[in-house]
Order: sequence, then structure tokens, then C-alpha cells
Amino acid sequence: MGISRDSRHKRSHTGAKRAQYRKKRKFELGRQAANTKLGAKRIHEVRVRGGNKKFRAMRLDTGTFSWGSEAISRKTRVVAVVYNASNNELVRTNTLVKGAIVQIDATPFRQWYENHYAQILGKKKRLTEEEAAESAANKQRSRHLQRTVAARKGNVEQALDEQFVSGRLYAIISSRPGQSGRCDGYILEGKELDFYVRKIRSKK
Amino acid sequence: MSEQTERSFQKQEAVFLNAKTVSKKNNRWYKDIGLGFKTPTEAIEGTYIDKKCPFTGNVSIRGRILSGVVVSTKMKRTIIIRRDYLHFIPKYQRYEKRHKNLAAHLSPAFIGVEAGDSVTVGQCRPLSKTVRFNVIKHQKKVVKGSKQFQKF
Repeated sequence: MGISRDSRHKRSHTGAKRAQYRKKRKFELGRQAANTKLGAKRIHEVRVRGGNKKFRAMRLDTGTFSWGSEAISRKTRVVAVVYNASNNELVRTNTLVKGAIVQIDATPFRQWYENHYAQILGKKKRLTEEEAAESAANKQRSRHLQRTVAARKGNVEQALDEQFVSGRLYAIISSRPGQSGRCDGYILEGKELDFYVRKIRSKK
Repeated sequence: MSEQTERSFQKQEAVFLNAKTVSKKNNRWYKDIGLGFKTPTEAIEGTYIDKKCPFTGNVSIRGRILSGVVVSTKMKRTIIIRRDYLHFIPKYQRYEKRHKNLAAHLSPAFIGVEAGDSVTVGQCRPLSKTVRFNVIKHQKKVVKGSKQFQKF
């Protein structure tokens, strides 16, 4: 392909043009970018220097995302790319890269929360499906389990609670899909969430 | 407060901002760079985010420690240093003046660095095309006759 990562083709610190005195070497090679899109999983394996493997994800649809303040991780579907600090084109084409802000499916996190704290998330939903919501949060528990659950205090910040109503959470990708083949990340909370929500709103 | 000037959220990698139990108010990570260099109070108490700062970022100082005089501070968070030295010519048994310029990263911990100040820099990993050094100490220029009027 001809992508090389050498600095011999660049001008030096003083501005001098460097003459070419050798050909490109294999250890200076670069490869085409993955530009991982949203879709059914497609991963290409690459043999790299030293005989090791890299997993170039061409298409991904799920990833493991962590809820930092609750210290849990769940595998969820990635719905859409919503913001990218580097390039708006990557948002338009739904390209998954490290540092991209995505929307993920909230159901595994809601299920865990209602199971763990016996409280309903996303208060507005209570008006519509009262009985269905009851079953997850208020299922049958043994007396011992009931006591341990009551001792737990669950409080979610307002901004995060509102996202549970729509069933979509904002998260940021913290893995490199073109290198590891995975799309993992963490759910945005607190100041980071405010920052990115403001950015997304100002763009719309 | 307004250190979020970029399009992505600036934060220290080592600090988790969203813990449920809020500990001490300013959750800041800093380190002692070693070799007897004192970490400035601005690095500990300040609010800037700089991943290339030797005190609050992800670079280690190892290798050479050099010093020089500041020539220009026009770049964002990096300065040019001039290092003068004498080169000996054996035939004439005399010296000639030579100098080399060096680009070094300047952390926001050092405030009020101007052209003419002397600075100590430590070697770190390559931070950009020409920057391999990081400012670790700053001594302001001593003006003789400081009782004279100077610009404020």
C-alpha cells in the first residue's frame, strides 16, 4: 500500500530537506485505517511484528461498557455515534474510534440496578407501565436478601436518570477497535456528561 | 474552571471524577519527578490539565538534564531554549562561540516565563516532532540594578 511511518521524508528541525539515502523498511510500515462501522461483527486478523496478532474490527455492534460509579460492566448494543471531537465526518458515517461518544442500550444496566437496589429508574416510565416495572424491582426475595437490599442506598444523578427514560445512555469508547477488535468504554457521568451533552446540543 | 478549551473533555487520566462518595474537594494527581527537583505549588494547587506536564501528566524525566536561556515563548505550551558553548580549534588553540536551539515543553505550572530567563530541562520521550525535553526548573533573569524602574 505504501504507508510508512518514517520521519526521513520530513524536513529536519532546522528546515533542511533530507535527501533519501535508503528505501522504505518493513519496520517502518503503516497499514490502512480500520474505520470501524456499526453493523454485524466482522473482524479481520492481522499478523504483526514479532508474530503477534491484531484484530482489525471492520464492523461492530456490541461492546462491554462500565458504569463507573456503580463499578459494574455489562455487554450492550451500540446504537449510534453521536459526537467525535476530532472529525464530524466520523459522526455522520457512524465510525467507531477511541474517544467517540456513542449511545448504548440501557436495558442491562436498568435490570442490574432494579435488581440490586429494588428502585425503579427513569421515573416517567412509572406512569405508563406500572405493573411491568413492578416485577423487576419488586420481585420475590427471601427475608435475608430483602434486608441486604434495603441496606443499600441507590441514588443516581438527575442527568443519568433522564437517559434511562429513553433507554439510551451516553458512553465514550475507551478501547481501540482497529487494534483490539473490541468496542469497550464507560458510561458518561458528572462533569464529563455535562460537557458532552452541551457539545451535542450546540451542534444540533 | 475554564480549562475545558478543547473539543474533548480535558481530565487527568489517573483521577476518577464520578465516585459516589465525594472525597477531598480538588481531586488532583501529581508526582515527584525525582532527582531532587521540587514540584511547583502551581502544579499541586492549579486546575490546568496537561498530559505532557512532568508533574501532573504522563511523562517521565530520564536521561540528560540540560539548561539554557529562553529565546521565544510564542508557541502554545512549548518554548525555544538557546544553549551556548565554546568549541575548541586545536590548530589555533583558541575557542569559538557556537549555539544550539532546543525546543522544550513548558508546563502551565511555570507562569511568567519570558525571553531571557534561564531554565533547566530534562529529557523525556518524544512529545512531538522536535520536542524531547521538558522544563523542570525556572530561574528568572537577574536584572542588575533592580532598584531601577522596570516594566510591571
